[in-house]
Amino acid sequence: MVKKFLRFEVLLLLAVFTIATCGLVYELVAGTLASYLLGDSVKQFSFIIGVYLFSMGVGSYFSKFITRNLLNTFIEIEILVGVIGGLSSAVLFVLFESVYYFQFILYLLVFITGCLVGLEIPLLMNILKDRVKFRDLVSNVFTFDYIGALLASILFPLVLVPQLGIMRTSLFFGMINISIAIMLCFILKNELKKPKLLRAKAIFSFLLLVVVFIFSDSILSFSEGKLYGENIIYTHATPYQRIVLTHNKSDYRLYLNNNLQFSSQDEYRYHEALVHPVMASAKKIDNILVLGGGDGLAVREILKYNDVKHITLVDLDEGMTNLFKTNTVLSGFNKGALNNPKVTVINSDAYIWAKDCKQQFDVAIIDFPDPSNYSLGKLYSLNFYRTLQNILTPEAVVVIQTTSPYFAPKSFWCINKTIQQVLPVTDAYHAYVPSFGEWGFTIAANSPTTKFSKVRRKVSGLRFYDYDFERLNDFAKDMKANDIEINRLDNQVLVRYFDEEWGKL
Amino acid sequence: MKNGENYNGTSRRTFLKGIAASLLLAPFLKACQQKAAALIVKLTGTNHVLGHRLWAKNFPKPSQNIQIPYLIIGGGVSGLSAARLFNKKGIDDFLILEMESHIGGNSSNGENKHSKFPLGAHYLPVPNFHDKELLQFLEEEKIITGYTANGFPVFDEQQLSFSPQERLFYKNTWQEGLVPKFGNPQAVNDEFDRFFALMEAFRTEKGPDNRYYFDIPLSVGSTDARHRHLDTISMQQWLDENDFTSPEIGTYVNYCCRDDFGLGIAYISAWAGIHYFAARKHNAGDTKDNVLTWPEGNARLAHHLKKYTQGKTLLNYLAFDIDVSDDNVIVTAFDSDKQETVTITAQKVIIATPQFVNQYLLPNRKPIAKDFNYAPWLLATLTVSHLPDDESYPLCWDNVIFNGKGLGYIYDQHQNLKQIQDKKVITWYHSFSTANNKKARKELYSKSKEYWEAFVLSDLKAAHPGIENFVEEITIHRLGHGMISPVPGFLFGASKHEAAKSIANKLYFAHTDLSGISIFEEAFHQGINAVNNLLHDTAVDT
Repeated sequence: MVKKFLRFEVLLLLAVFTIATCGLVYELVAGTLASYLLGDSVKQFSFIIGVYLFSMGVGSYFSKFITRNLLNTFIEIEILVGVIGGLSSAVLFVLFESVYYFQFILYLLVFITGCLVGLEIPLLMNILKDRVKFRDLVSNVFTFDYIGALLASILFPLVLVPQLGIMRTSLFFGMINISIAIMLCFILKNELKKPKLLRAKAIFSFLLLVVVFIFSDSILSFSEGKLYGENIIYTHATPYQRIVLTHNKSDYRLYLNNNLQFSSQDEYRYHEALVHPVMASAKKIDNILVLGGGDGLAVREILKYNDVKHITLVDLDEGMTNLFKTNTVLSGFNKGALNNPKVTVINSDAYIWAKDCKQQFDVAIIDFPDPSNYSLGKLYSLNFYRTLQNILTPEAVVVIQTTSPYFAPKSFWCINKTIQQVLPVTDAYHAYVPSFGEWGFTIAANSPTTKFSKVRRKVSGLRFYDYDFERLNDFAKDMKANDIEINRLDNQVLVRYFDEEWGKL
Repeated sequence: MKNGENYNGTSRRTFLKGIAASLLLAPFLKACQQKAAALIVKLTGTNHVLGHRLWAKNFPKPSQNIQIPYLIIGGGVSGLSAARLFNKKGIDDFLILEMESHIGGNSSNGENKHSKFPLGAHYLPVPNFHDKELLQFLEEEKIITGYTANGFPVFDEQQLSFSPQERLFYKNTWQEGLVPKFGNPQAVNDEFDRFFALMEAFRTEKGPDNRYYFDIPLSVGSTDARHRHLDTISMQQWLDENDFTSPEIGTYVNYCCRDDFGLGIAYISAWAGIHYFAARKHNAGDTKDNVLTWPEGNARLAHHLKKYTQGKTLLNYLAFDIDVSDDNVIVTAFDSDKQETVTITAQKVIIATPQFVNQYLLPNRKPIAKDFNYAPWLLATLTVSHLPDDESYPLCWDNVIFNGKGLGYIYDQHQNLKQIQDKKVITWYHSFSTANNKKARKELYSKSKEYWEAFVLSDLKAAHPGIENFVEEITIHRLGHGMISPVPGFLFGASKHEAAKSIANKLYFAHTDLSGISIFEEAFHQGINAVNNLLHDTAVDT
C-alpha cells in the first residue's frame, strides 16, 4: 500500500515538474516572439511575466470551484496546457503580419496558459492532501515546481532555441506535456473515470502536435508569405541573395533579401527617373555602363534610345541576371532587354571590375543596393568614384541611385558631396515612387560645361518623365541636411548615417 | 551595426530568417564536422635551425672570397632602409646578406589561395607630422598621394585601414573600439578618462630643449631626464602608484603592452608603456589615429624597399664571424644553399641584426646581449568558411577578445574592395608574456602543431562558438625572438648604449633592439642613422 502511494505521488510530482518546465517555456517563447515582433524586449518580457504570474493567480483562485473528478480534471488540464502552449508559437507565427490582433492574441494565450498552470498546483494539492502529510506535500510540490522553472530557463536560450528554433521548441514541450498526460491515463486507469475517453483525447492532442511539428517548415514559409502580404509566386536563392517574387492583383513585387526591389505598378517612375535625365543631357550615348540593376529594367529604358551602340551591365549575381534573361514573367518586365544584342552582361564585383576596366563610357548608371552595410558602403566611397572617373569619357554623365532624401537626407547628401570631390558638376533630383516613397538620385558630369537641364534627345512614350529636369530638382526643407562628411573607405561615414536614419524608422 | 534595439518590419524578417537558419543549421553543422577532419595545419617560422648553428659554428672552411666596399648584414627593415639611403646617396657598390630565403625580417608575409597575410608586423600608424623622412618615403611609394592646403599629407584611401577598424569582445558581446566601455560602472569609466588625460599630457609635453619627451624615433626625444625615472619601474608599478586599480584598465593596458612590446605590464618599463600612448602625436591632418595597412602587413613596405637591393641580395647566407683589421672588415658567412663558406671583404659594414645574433658574430658581446630581452611570438593564420559570432558589431580589421589568451586577430582581407569573400582569412597573434622568455621559447618550439591548433581555437571559441567546424586551414608561424621587450632599466641603460656604438669607424649597428621598441619607424630610422654615421665618418676620414 505504501509503495503504491509512493508511486502515485511521484507520478503526480513528475507531472508538476513537467507543467512548471513547460509553462515557463511557453512564457519564454511568448516573450521572445513579442520582443522580436513588437520591439522593446524589456517591456515585452516584463509584461509577459506579469501577465503570466497574474493569470496563474487567477487559475489558483478558480481551482476552489473544482471539487469533483479532481484527477480527471488534472489530466485534462495537462492536455489542454500542452495543446494551447504547444500551438501558441505556431499561431503567433501565422498571425505575425496582423500586429493589432497579434498583441491581443499573444496576451490571451499567455493568460490562458497561465490560468491552466495556476489551476494545476492547487488541484494537485487537493488530490494529494488526504494521502500525504501536508508539510511534505507543500514542500515537495513547490520544490518540483521551482526546479522545473530553473531547468526551463536554462535550457531555453542554451539548447532549445539554437537546436529547435522557437516554433519547434513550444511544439516539442507541448508533446512532452501531453505524453505525461497519456502516461498518467495508463498508469492511473483504475483511479480515473472514463479512462478510455481521456486517453483518446490525450492521444488525439498528441498527434495534432506531431503533425504541426512535421509541417512546421511549411508554416514558417506560409508565415513568411503572410509577411510579404502577397502571394509568393517564385523564390530563388542565389549564392548572394534570396529572390522572392510576389503577386497580388495586377501588382508583381520583387524582393531581394526581403528588401523591395521593385513593384511592377510603379517601377516605371523609378527607372524613368533613373535613366532619362542622363540620357537626355549626355553629349554622346554610344557606350552605356550600368552597374547593379541586374533586373534589366534600367537597360529596358536605355534601349529606347536607338543611338545607343552598346550597353555593358555589371552585376555581381549571375543567378539574378540569368533569371531576368530566361524566366518569362521576369523577362517580360524588362521586355527581354538582357537578351538584346547591344547588351553585354558581366557578372563580377563592380569595384574590382571597374579597377581593371580599360574601356571608357559616355554614360554610367549606378543602381547599387542602399549602403546598409560596410561592404556596400565601399561602393559609395570617394575611392570608388575616383575609380569610376577613370572609365568615363571626358564628356560623360553619371547618375547614382542615392536612397531617399526624405527618410535619409544625411545619407543622400553625403553621397552627393562625396562625388562632388571627384566630378566637376553635380546635382540632385528626386521622384515619388509610391512603393518606395520619395526617392532620390545624384547626377554628375565629367565636363564642367554639362547642363543637366539641357535636353539633347528625347524618346516618346514615357509615362513619368517629361524631360523637365528642373521640376525634379527642387528640394523642400525637410529633404536637406547640413554638415555632412565625405564618405571614405577609412571612415565609412555613409553607413553610419544610413543606419542612424533608417534605424529610426 | 544593428545592435538588436531596432525591431521594425525588416528585423522581423531577419528574425524569421534566423529561425529558418537555425532549423536548417543542424544537418549543415554535421556536414561541417565531418569536413573538419580534413583540416590542414602547417607549422612555419623563422629558420631557427640554421640560426642555431651560430652556437657551434660547425661550418666548412671558406672556399670563396667576395670584395665589396659596403656590406649590410640583415635584410629586415633596418637593413633595407640602409640600402635605400645608400641608393639615394648614389652608392650602389654594396651587398646585403640575409639568413632567410627572403628579405623583410619581421615585415614578411605568407600567402594562400584566398589572401596574403602577415608573418609579423602588420601596420604602420599614420606618422607624426615632424617625421619628414618617413613622410618622404611614403610619398615616394605613393602611399601619400598629395598634400592639403595646410600642408598635411593626404594618404591613399585604399591603404588606410578601412572602416570599421576595431572591435572588442567584452562582456560576451562585440563593441566598437578597443577600450572596454560597454556596461562599465562609472568609477571604471572615470579611471579610463583620468588615464587618457594623463597620457594626453605626456603626449604634448616638451622638455627644455623643445623636444617631446615621448617621440618616434626615440632618438629625437628630449634629452632632459625628467621622466627617465619611469624607466626604472614597471608599468604595473606605475599604474599602482597612480591609483589605477580597476581590472578593466589593467587588462587594457596589459593588452597594449603585450601587443607592442611582447610582454605585459608586469615586465615592461613604465616609460615604454607610456610611450605607447604618448609618442604618436596624431598631428598629420584629419586621418587622426588611423593606420596604414595591407593584406600582407608591413611586408608591403619591405617590398617597396626591396627595389633598392635588386641584384645585391645574398639570400640564405648566415654571417657567423666578423673580423675587423686596420684596412678592412672580413665577414665570414655560410651559404646554406650551396653548403659552402665564403668570406666577404668590405670597407664598412652595417650590422642590421639583433644583439642575440651579434653576440656570436663579434667578440665580447655576450655581457651586453644578456640585457636584451626578446619575447617569443606565435601567429596563426586561419582560413575559415564562416566566422560564427553574435553579429553585435561587424567584422573589423582588428578584432580583440578582452582578457583573451591571444592578442586578437586581424581580418586579412579587410582592405579588399570586393563585396563578398568566399573564405575568410584571419591572422591571430599571441605573445608569450612571462618572466622567462627562454622557457617560453622552448615551449614554442617543443609543443606539437596539434597543441597550438587547440590553443588558438580555444581562445577564438570564446567569441566565435563553433569556429572549429568552419576552419579549413591553419598556418602556425613561430617567432622565437619576436621583438625586443623594453624591460625596466633597458631603454636608458648602459648595454643598449654600448651595443649601438660603432666600432673602429668600420662597423655600424642598426636594429630596433638598439632603440628598444620594435616598430617600423624605429627600424626605418635605424637604417638611415647608420648610413649617415658611416658616411659622416667616411667624409671625416678623407
